[in-house]
Amino acid sequence: MPDFEYNGKTVSVDEDGFIEDPDVWNEELAAALAKGEGVDALTDEHWNIVNYLRNYYQQFGIAPMVRKLCKETKTPLKRVYELFPSGPAKGACKVAGLPKPTGCV
Amino acid sequence: MSVQTNGKQRSHKAEMALKRMKSKLNRQVVGSLVGCVHCGMCTDSCHYVQTNPGDVTYAPAWKADRLRKIFKREIDWTGRVFPWWVGAKSVFSDEDLEELKDIAFGKCTNCRRCTINCPMGVDFATFNRMLRGMLVSVGVMPEGVAVVSKDQWEIGNQMGVLKEDYLDTLEWMADEMQIELDDESAQIPIDKKNANVVYSINPREVKYDPRTISDAAKIFHMAGEDWTMPSEGWDMTNFGLFSGDDDLGGAVAGMLYDKVIELKGKKLVISECGHGYRSTRCEGPNWAKKDVPFEMESSVITMLNYIKEGRIKVDKSRNPQPVTFHDSCNNARSCGLFEEPRELLQLVCEDFREMYPNRAENYCCTGGGGAMSMSEYAGRRLKSAKVKADQLKATGAEVVVTSCHNCVDGLSDCIKHYELGMEVTQLVNLVANALVIPEKPVVVPVEKEAEKVVAHAESLVNRTILIVDDEPDILTFFSTVLEDNGARILTATDGEEAVELAMREQPDLITLDINMPGKDGGWVFSRLREEKATSQIPVCIISGKPELRRLIYERSVPPPEGYVDKPVDEAMLMRNVRKILDLSKRDQTHSVESN
Repeated sequence: MPDFEYNGKTVSVDEDGFIEDPDVWNEELAAALAKGEGVDALTDEHWNIVNYLRNYYQQFGIAPMVRKLCKETKTPLKRVYELFPSGPAKGACKVAGLPKPTGCV
Repeated sequence: MSVQTNGKQRSHKAEMALKRMKSKLNRQVVGSLVGCVHCGMCTDSCHYVQTNPGDVTYAPAWKADRLRKIFKREIDWTGRVFPWWVGAKSVFSDEDLEELKDIAFGKCTNCRRCTINCPMGVDFATFNRMLRGMLVSVGVMPEGVAVVSKDQWEIGNQMGVLKEDYLDTLEWMADEMQIELDDESAQIPIDKKNANVVYSINPREVKYDPRTISDAAKIFHMAGEDWTMPSEGWDMTNFGLFSGDDDLGGAVAGMLYDKVIELKGKKLVISECGHGYRSTRCEGPNWAKKDVPFEMESSVITMLNYIKEGRIKVDKSRNPQPVTFHDSCNNARSCGLFEEPRELLQLVCEDFREMYPNRAENYCCTGGGGAMSMSEYAGRRLKSAKVKADQLKATGAEVVVTSCHNCVDGLSDCIKHYELGMEVTQLVNLVANALVIPEKPVVVPVEKEAEKVVAHAESLVNRTILIVDDEPDILTFFSTVLEDNGARILTATDGEEAVELAMREQPDLITLDINMPGKDGGWVFSRLREEKATSQIPVCIISGKPELRRLIYERSVPPPEGYVDKPVDEAMLMRNVRKILDLSKRDQTHSVESN
């Protein structure tokens, strides 16, 4: 199992770089993961999405439809891709500490 | 639980896996199992071998021998009588099965590149799929494959998208489209009966990236298509192809077929997804054991036809960046979809650059065969992606286009890992981006437009057209049609005569047959483009064999102005000639006046 290192700390991630244990997630880790996804600094707009994804995952155990994400966070779809260049599945979900989405992604 | 076999204990799982193998052997698989002569031709064709030189366990023939040894021990008489002589070896323990899993899922993407490079016709990918099926039947598979298969079985789509969420997303996309087009008639019709087109998609489009749905909807709307999306049975992907589970394959494909039949749809259009296209159009009827009473088509062909028939207009200057095309293994190598995507790219992009090797010889995106859902092998996958990265880099393109969602992800990972800085997109996005949207959309069914064009005689007055073809019947037919419309006609029956006439007479248009004895159409075309005197004359390529279009594409000269596939009818010929000569606007004015 590979490790992800940030600010002198280490967490286990899967081969695709998604964290293994959702409970070790914290804001500092999120910022470090974001750098790998082409996001240099997390703004309020980013946090709005990240926090929504985390809450949804904690409640339902899966990633939400991008429809729900856009509706609930009031973020247009295009904006989601501007905020997270690698997209909601591989970008935003990874930063929010969700496991890798299943299927063709 | 275990079974006693020739004095050796065999685990229950191993016993069941062998049973499954015996029930799945068919002529194609047996031919591939016995046909290998270990010549080594396949070795260098595999992207895993190229990136792991010296590691024999990646060589297709070595991987194939793992199943071949079992086949020999259990089925073939040589192995049953002289196992030590022919290297026969069966499976006994659960650990043996785990070893096979590592090969079947972790060292092959079933891309079939070795298959087409095998002089004996050994189809390794086909029996690797069978091997996967044996393992899956006893629950030995990567977790990602298990999760996705379960969702396809239980919820009917590979991402477990619920019906209300799917419909809500389609409604959202329809709303966005209406705002963008400022047109309330722009809809995504759901479950419409008797529609001409039923459109099926990949769940990732609806779950994570619905931009491809709104782009496709925009194209259907602008083409005036009578189309619909089904409320159920809309997932055209099929993990049965990856897992080797024919029952799952049949169940998933069957859901689509049943829905189209229920809706009385005329044609099932499959969005850009390589394995979905292969599963639904090519393999599904066999798995589902069903006759399919409707047409099935890739959306690439649908979009291309809209442009060729004049149903949508595109402006390629909206996509100016250099693009290259990646052939998906399932679309290209397994289903022969080579030329249509290239033709479409030429129509919607300004700067298309071929990737080498290409078409049937292209390398896998390295995420094929379900590899994107098997995180445990991501390290190997990215290592093997070096081959793809080198190929991409050599094109000098900024954007790589592919007609497969799986390839989008495989390529994106490769580009990120090797820091190539390229963008990945699909044809539907480029076509939608190039769409010319008239101020008020006019929906004219294509047949009527065709009649209108033919009825309007003598519209080619003062135009000289050179017809180049070696078939006298075609010459006569084209000459008659074009002359009836007022054009002055010149004819040439071979390449050299064609170039000479074009230089001397400076026609307004040349129709050029690709397949001619002696100097072929490709030669004529590049001569015309290279000579200053003829380089600006529009050329319409005529061909009965789409695969011959490579004679044109692979030349480093500007692409032709049009293509027409044989057989050609009068309306089709006139529509294309007028479009190239840009007479369509004048024609519309005429028809308005005559109304």
